[in-house]
Amino acid sequence: MSYCVNCGVELNSAASCCPLCGTPVLNPRQKADETAPAFFPTRRAEVAPVSKRAMALLLTAMLGSVAVCCALLNLVLKPHIPWYLFVVGAAAMLWVWTVFPLLARKVPLWGRLTLDVGAVGLYVFLISLALDGGTWFRNLAIPLLALSAAVVFSLSWLLRRGHSLLTTATMSLIAAGIFCLGVEACCDWYLYSGFAPGWSLVVFACCVGLCIPLVIIRRIPSLREEARRRFHF
Amino acid sequence: MRNMARRETPWYKLDNAGTLYSAIQREEYSAIYRFSAWMTDPVDPALLQNAIDRCMPRFPGFAVRIRRGFFWYYFEPNTAPGPYLKPDVADPCQPVRFREDNGYLVRFYYYRNRISFEAFHALADGTGGLVFFRTLLAEYLRLQGHIIPCGSGLLDVTEAPRREEREDAYARYAGEVARAPALIRRAYSNRGEPEPFYTFHVTMGFVPVDQIKSKAREYQASLTEYLAAGLIWVLLEKQHRERPHRERPVALAVPIDLRALFPTDTLRNFILTVQPSVDPALGPYRFADIVSQVHHYMRLHINPQELRALFTRNVRYERNPALQLIPRPLKNPVMAYNYRTRGVRPYSATFTNPGVFRVPPEMEPHIRHMEVVLGQATVARPHVSAISYGNTLEITFAGTQRDAETERAFFHFLVTQGIPVRIESNRRPGGSSKEED
Repeated sequence: MSYCVNCGVELNSAASCCPLCGTPVLNPRQKADETAPAFFPTRRAEVAPVSKRAMALLLTAMLGSVAVCCALLNLVLKPHIPWYLFVVGAAAMLWVWTVFPLLARKVPLWGRLTLDVGAVGLYVFLISLALDGGTWFRNLAIPLLALSAAVVFSLSWLLRRGHSLLTTATMSLIAAGIFCLGVEACCDWYLYSGFAPGWSLVVFACCVGLCIPLVIIRRIPSLREEARRRFHF
Repeated sequence: MRNMARRETPWYKLDNAGTLYSAIQREEYSAIYRFSAWMTDPVDPALLQNAIDRCMPRFPGFAVRIRRGFFWYYFEPNTAPGPYLKPDVADPCQPVRFREDNGYLVRFYYYRNRISFEAFHALADGTGGLVFFRTLLAEYLRLQGHIIPCGSGLLDVTEAPRREEREDAYARYAGEVARAPALIRRAYSNRGEPEPFYTFHVTMGFVPVDQIKSKAREYQASLTEYLAAGLIWVLLEKQHRERPHRERPVALAVPIDLRALFPTDTLRNFILTVQPSVDPALGPYRFADIVSQVHHYMRLHINPQELRALFTRNVRYERNPALQLIPRPLKNPVMAYNYRTRGVRPYSATFTNPGVFRVPPEMEPHIRHMEVVLGQATVARPHVSAISYGNTLEITFAGTQRDAETERAFFHFLVTQGIPVRIESNRRPGGSSKEED
C-alpha cells in the first residue's frame, strides 16, 4: 500500500498520484499497479450538451433559410413590392440578438446593448426607407430608440452586481415609470412640438406609489424579514 | 359503498419535502442520492435484475412516475416495464429526467462487486431508501441460494404493501404552532469553480469505526457530532486561508430523521435539517470548542416540540388555499428562489449520516462495505455523507467543483487526529476528464 506524503492518506494500489492533492506516488517497494481494475467505473453516461458554436450554426441556418425562402417567394408573390426585405431585415436583427452573443465571448454589456439597439435601428431605418418615412424615423424612432437604450443600460448597470428582489423590483418600477414619461414626451414632441404630460404621469405616479412601500420594507430589517416570511421568499 | 369510498386513489400527493425537491428540479440538477453495497463476490446482473423485479411490487412508493398537475406535481403508479439494471457509470447521481427510464425515478447499477441504487429524493428519504435497498440485497442473496430471514429492517417481498408505509408523516404530525427557523442570513459559501453538471466528482474515505468512535468519545461527542465539528473546523480554516474581506459564519445543514421522535412506518420523506454553526467573527475557536458547540446545539435543538413547529410551518404553506390556487409554473420559481435564500445561502455544506447499516447476521458475510453518495448541490460545493457498516465508516465528498481542497483538508484533519484514512476517488490525474470506455 502507498500513502500520500502530503495528505497522509492511504491510496489505491493503482493510483499514480494522490486524488486529493495531485502529489505523485513514488513508492520503490510497490509500483502503481496499472493493470488493477479501477475502483470506480470509467464509462460516462451523459452526453455533453450542444456547444454554443453548434447552436449558433443551427440558428444561423434557420434564419438564413427563412430569408432565402422569402426572397424566392417574392419572385412569385407580389413581385412589384420588395417585401422580402422586411423579412431579411428581421432575420438580420434576430441574428444580432440571438446568435452574436453565442459567438462573441466577454463582450461588455454596453457593447451588446449598442449592437442590439443598432440592429433595431437599422431595421426600422430600412422600413422607413421602404415607406418613405424619413421624418418619423428622425423625429420619433431615433429618440425612442435612444430612450430605450438609455433606460435598459442604466437599469442593467445599476443591477449589475445582483441585488435583492425588493431592490430589483423598485428599480425596475422606477425605470418603467421614466420610460413611459419619455415615450409620451417623444410622441408629444413629434405630434404637437410640445410636452403636456398625461397618461404617462399617471403611470409614473403609480410606479412611485408602489416604490415607496418597497423602499421602506427594504430599509427596515424587521419589515423585510416579515415580507420574506409572508410571501415565501 | 363504504369499501368503495375508502378505496385508495391510484395517485397521491407529494409530501412536503418532495414538493420542494420537485420544484427545484432542472435539466442539470436533481435532488438524488445513492446507496451502494460492495459485496464479497462479483455481482450477477441476471440475478440482481430478478431481485429488482421481485422487490418493486412490494414498494409501490418507489414504482411511481411523477406527473405535472396544474397546481402541484403528483405521483401515480408506474406500470411500464422496468426499472432495468445498468452497468455503472463514472459520474453517479446524474439528474433524473421525468420522461426517461420509462418514467421511473429509481435507478440500479452494478460494477464489479458493487450494487448501487439511486433514488429521486421526492420519493423517499435515506431511511426509506435504506429499507428498500436492504430488502433488495436480501432478495438478491436469497436468489443466490443463501437463507436470509425477514425482520431487522427487511421487508417480506411476498406480503402486500401496507398503507402506513406511504403515509405523509409531516401532515400526520403537523401541530398547532408554527415557527420559522432562526437562520443565518448568509454563511460562508465554500463555492468552487464548477465543472459541467455531468461531471460529478466523488471522493470516498474509509475509516475504522472503532478508532474514530473512540476519538469522538475523547471529545464527549457522538460520531455525527464529531464529524460535523471536523467539517466545520476545516471550512473555518479554508475560509481563513482565502482571506475574505469579512469572515462569515460556517454552518452545516444536518438532516435529522424524525422517525426517532415521531413514530411512523412511512418510507417516504420524514426529515428536517438542523443548522450547527460557528461564527468566526466572535474570535478564534479551538477544535474542542467547536465539538462542544455542535454537541450542545444538537442536544438543545433536536426536540419534538421545536422540530414539530418547524415542519408545521412548511405544511401550512402547502395547505394554504391561496397558495394552492396558484398554478404550478408560477409557484415553482418562487419555491426555487426560496430554496436559494433559505436552503442554500445560510449553509456552507450539507452533512448527512444515515448511521449504521444493520443487516441480519446471515447477510453480514456477503457485504464488505457500504457507500453513500449525496447528489450534487445546486451550487458548486461538496455534499458530505457518511455511512458505517461493520468496522468501516465510509465518508463521501461529492460535488461538481473542480478543486478537491475541502475533502483534502478534511481527510488530512482526520489523519492528524490519528485516524487512518484510505481514499478512493473517481477524479483522474490532470483534471476532470475521465477516460471513455
